[in-house]
This record gives sequence, structure tokens and C-alpha cells, in this order.
Amino acid sequence: MTRVQKEKIFSGALAFLTLCACSILAFILFAVFSRGFAALSWEFISSEARDFGAKGGILYQIFGTLLLMFASTTICLPIALGTALYQTEYLKSSFWKKAFKIFMASLNGMPTIVLGLAGYLFFGKFLGIGVSWLTGALILAAMIIPTAHAAILEAIETLPEHYQETGISLGLKPNQRIIAVVIPHSVYGIITGTLLGLARAGGETAAIMFTATAFSGVTLPKSITEPVATLQTHILVLAQEATNPIALANAWGSASVLLGIVFFLILGAKSIRNRLTWELER
Amino acid sequence: MALLSMALGIGIVAYLFWEGGPFIWNQGTQFLLGLDWFPGEDYGAAPMIFGSAAVTLMALIFSTPLALASAIYTAEFLDPRRRLTVKAIMEILAGVPGIVYGLLGVSLLSVWVRDVFNLLDGYTLFSASILLAIMILPTIMTLSEDAINSTPAEHRQAASGLGLTKLEILFSVALPHAAPGIAGAILLAIGRAMGETIAVMLVIGGLDRIPEPWFDVFSSGQSIASKLGREAAETLGSGEHWSALMALALILFFLVIFLTAFGNWLIKGFRK
Repeated sequence: MTRVQKEKIFSGALAFLTLCACSILAFILFAVFSRGFAALSWEFISSEARDFGAKGGILYQIFGTLLLMFASTTICLPIALGTALYQTEYLKSSFWKKAFKIFMASLNGMPTIVLGLAGYLFFGKFLGIGVSWLTGALILAAMIIPTAHAAILEAIETLPEHYQETGISLGLKPNQRIIAVVIPHSVYGIITGTLLGLARAGGETAAIMFTATAFSGVTLPKSITEPVATLQTHILVLAQEATNPIALANAWGSASVLLGIVFFLILGAKSIRNRLTWELER
Repeated sequence: MALLSMALGIGIVAYLFWEGGPFIWNQGTQFLLGLDWFPGEDYGAAPMIFGSAAVTLMALIFSTPLALASAIYTAEFLDPRRRLTVKAIMEILAGVPGIVYGLLGVSLLSVWVRDVFNLLDGYTLFSASILLAIMILPTIMTLSEDAINSTPAEHRQAASGLGLTKLEILFSVALPHAAPGIAGAILLAIGRAMGETIAVMLVIGGLDRIPEPWFDVFSSGQSIASKLGREAAETLGSGEHWSALMALALILFFLVIFLTAFGNWLIKGFRK
């Protein structure tokens, strides 16, 4: 066998394996949506759950998931943006810069169940908010800070050097520079970070399952200290009744909606980031 | 804001220590090596530690060859546009919520495992490790691809100037260069697999014992994370049971943080 033949065989095998890896996604999409569409209907989306989710729709579950997503992102965004700006614009010592990087990487790697437990103890018990959507939003906010932070930091760090230099030469102070130069030019990064944060918060179950949600009898929360129903926990409960076909169909329907929301956000973030790199290369 | 985010993290760690630390300290080896977990009497963490290790190891064995093969193919043999497509697919795969994997595991995978291997039920360590293998595939693939792709162009040019084929360049130039990055990617993936709760919890079976014999992966088990997910709701907040769970959380936390930090260090170190 010649060297070129060897290479052809090898690359063919690799191509096949790559195709296998990519087709996992196709399989997941097919498995979820083909079963989910059977359950999906306007009535399913717009009515409330009955009989512990075995009948009826998922209106309040969708509401709860969206509420937790947006609340946690609203809390997380100022913190992530503030941390990224402080790190790039004010912080001089390389020791602290390194410390921040390690810290963010650790927070990113932290198992979400541990975050959920510790967060419940701190927000729910110590601060007395209890099992409520606010506790869940705060825990999720802590969880998505690294995601949003990384996207924002990337946008700020890829900012062309001469933008900053122009700002300095005009005698702008750091805070003026942030408002006039850094934020307007890294707005794509901020949007990408927000969308990815929303997606991650929407896909999370372990951190909220006993800190922010209740399964049945929940409608719209009347105050900030009430639990909500979410798609994630709804699927969790229905999945444990895997023998009941109607409950399972509803679980697939809920999973389709959840997957749809999350993919929409990730694809949005990706297209915006592509536009960002395109603008930079121009 | 920066201080706030820092304080948040440190607060959580301090809390875990406060709740779980004394328990490990008092119970010592009895906790770490104990085989039985009966709330109120015995708290032995060995089955959970074994379960986490077994499931993670198997997931790695299933996932790494596929992930590395596609990383190599994407970095070395694909044109830039297709490369971005494959990476986008991996990014989307990474975004699939854990609960969706859990649902797939409960209603499809566990049934398949039961039928194919002729078992009484499909909720086994083996099923959990297959789910985990799919979940960590994008992590290993994306990060190793970055590592291989970042081989300096001059090194490649020098090698192709010597008349090496792409395959030979791969093994003699690109892979040695990317090795630390790939190792880092695998460590991060291990960290992720250990911390994954919801999907594992649904298919692992939830039995707190080490299988007999220990390598029988087609029996039910329990991982640290799934234990936490199952029992934390029962005892939220206080008591000995809670302290024991927090001690488990502390062990998990240290394992994961150590793996993540070491993995990141390898990836960063090689970028310089």
C-alpha cells in the first residue's frame, strides 16, 4: 500500500466517523420533533395542565420557563458586563486578572446541582425567599454569568487597539471610554452573551427542580416569592411515568417546545457572532 | 459588580465547607469507604463514588474515539466553510438541554438496552454512560479541534516541504502539538460528565450499591450527582442526612473544580 492510498483510507474512515458524530444531532432532532408534533397543537400550547400533566396543555409551563430565563438574564447581564469591563478597563494587576479567569472557569465548571443546593440555602433560607421563582432566577443568574461573561470579554478583547488609542488621545477617562467606545463596539458580544445565557438558563433543570418550581396547581405567580411551573420539571415528572402513553406524548410535546426555544436562541447568537467577525474582517 | 460575582462564588464554596466539611471530618473513612446508605443510620459514599467513576470512565471510552476522529477530520481535511458547519452542529448539540437527553434515555435508550442485552430493565450504569458519552462529545470534539487547528502554519509548511502526506503531517506535527490541548479537553469533559445530574438520574436506576461483581455495568447504580438530585428535595436544609448530602456535594465539587482547573491550565498553557 502506498502512502497516498493509506491516507485515502484513513481520511475516508475519519469522514465516516465525523458523519456519525454529526448525525447524532439529526437523530435527536428527529426523535424529539417527530414524537412532539403529534402532541403539539394550539390547544396544547394555550391551555393549562390537568390531571398532573397527563391531560391538557403547557401554557403555564412555557410561561414559567420564559420567566426564569428572562429574570435570570436580567440579573446576570449587569454583573457579567461589569465584571468584563472592570477586568479589561480598570484592572492592572496581572495576578488579579488571572484570578478572575480561574474563578470564571471554575464557576463555569461547577456542577449545577451543587450550585442549586448552595444557592437555595443562601437565597432561599438565609435571605428567606423560600422556594420561589426569584430564588431560581438568582441561582440561574449565577450559573450563566460565565457564559455571558465569556462572550462579552471576547468582544471587548477583539476590539481593534486603535479604537482605544483614539479614545485615550482624546483625553477620555476610562468611564467615558467605556460609554463612548467599548460598549457601542462590543454590543454584538453583549447580545450574543445574552442569547447564550438565555439558552443555557432555559435548558437547565437540576438547579431549579427543588428551588423554584412546583409541579401541579401552579398558575401565574402572584408575587415574587411563589414557585412557578416550568417545561423542564414538567418533562422530568412526565418522563418518570414512562408507562403512561398520554403523559409520554405530552412530555415529547413539551420537549419539542423547549428544544425549539433553546435552538432558536443558539442559532440567533451564532448568526450575530458571524456578523461580528464579518464586520471585523471588513 | 466584579466583587459581587467574586463574592457569590466564594460564598457558595464557604457554605459547602461549613455544611459538609465537619461531616467528612467526623465520619472520615467510614463515610468515604462505607458501603451502605440508610438515612438516619449509615452514610457510606463508596457506591456513589464508584458509580460516578464507572459511568464517567465508560462515557469517555465511548466518546473519545468518535470525538477525536471527527476533530481530526474537521481540522485537517475539511475546507473552512464545511469546518464551520461541523462546528456549528457541535455547538448546537452542546446546547441540547439535559432533560431532553433524559427523556430520550428513559423512553428510547433504556428500552433498547433492555432488549438488546436481554435485561430485566434498562436503567443501568451502561445506559447512563451512553447518554453521558453523547453529552460530552461536543466538549471533547470542539476543544480538541481548536487545539489541532491552532498548529502554526509554518510547522505544517515545513512538513509538507519535506514531502509528507497530510496523514504523516497529522501524526508527526499536528497531534504532538495539540496533545496538551486534547488532554485538557478530555479533563473538562470528565468534569462535565461528573456534574451532570438530570439525564443520569433518570436512567441510572438509583440503587446505592456497588454492582456484584463490580464490573457488571448492566446493573443499576448511583452517581454522586444523581444521589444529590434524588434526595436533596426530601431533606432540604437541615439534619444529619442533609450534612451527609452536602459532604457528597463537597467531594463532587472538589473533583470537578480540580479537573476543570487542570484542564483549563493545559489548554491555556499550550496556547501561549
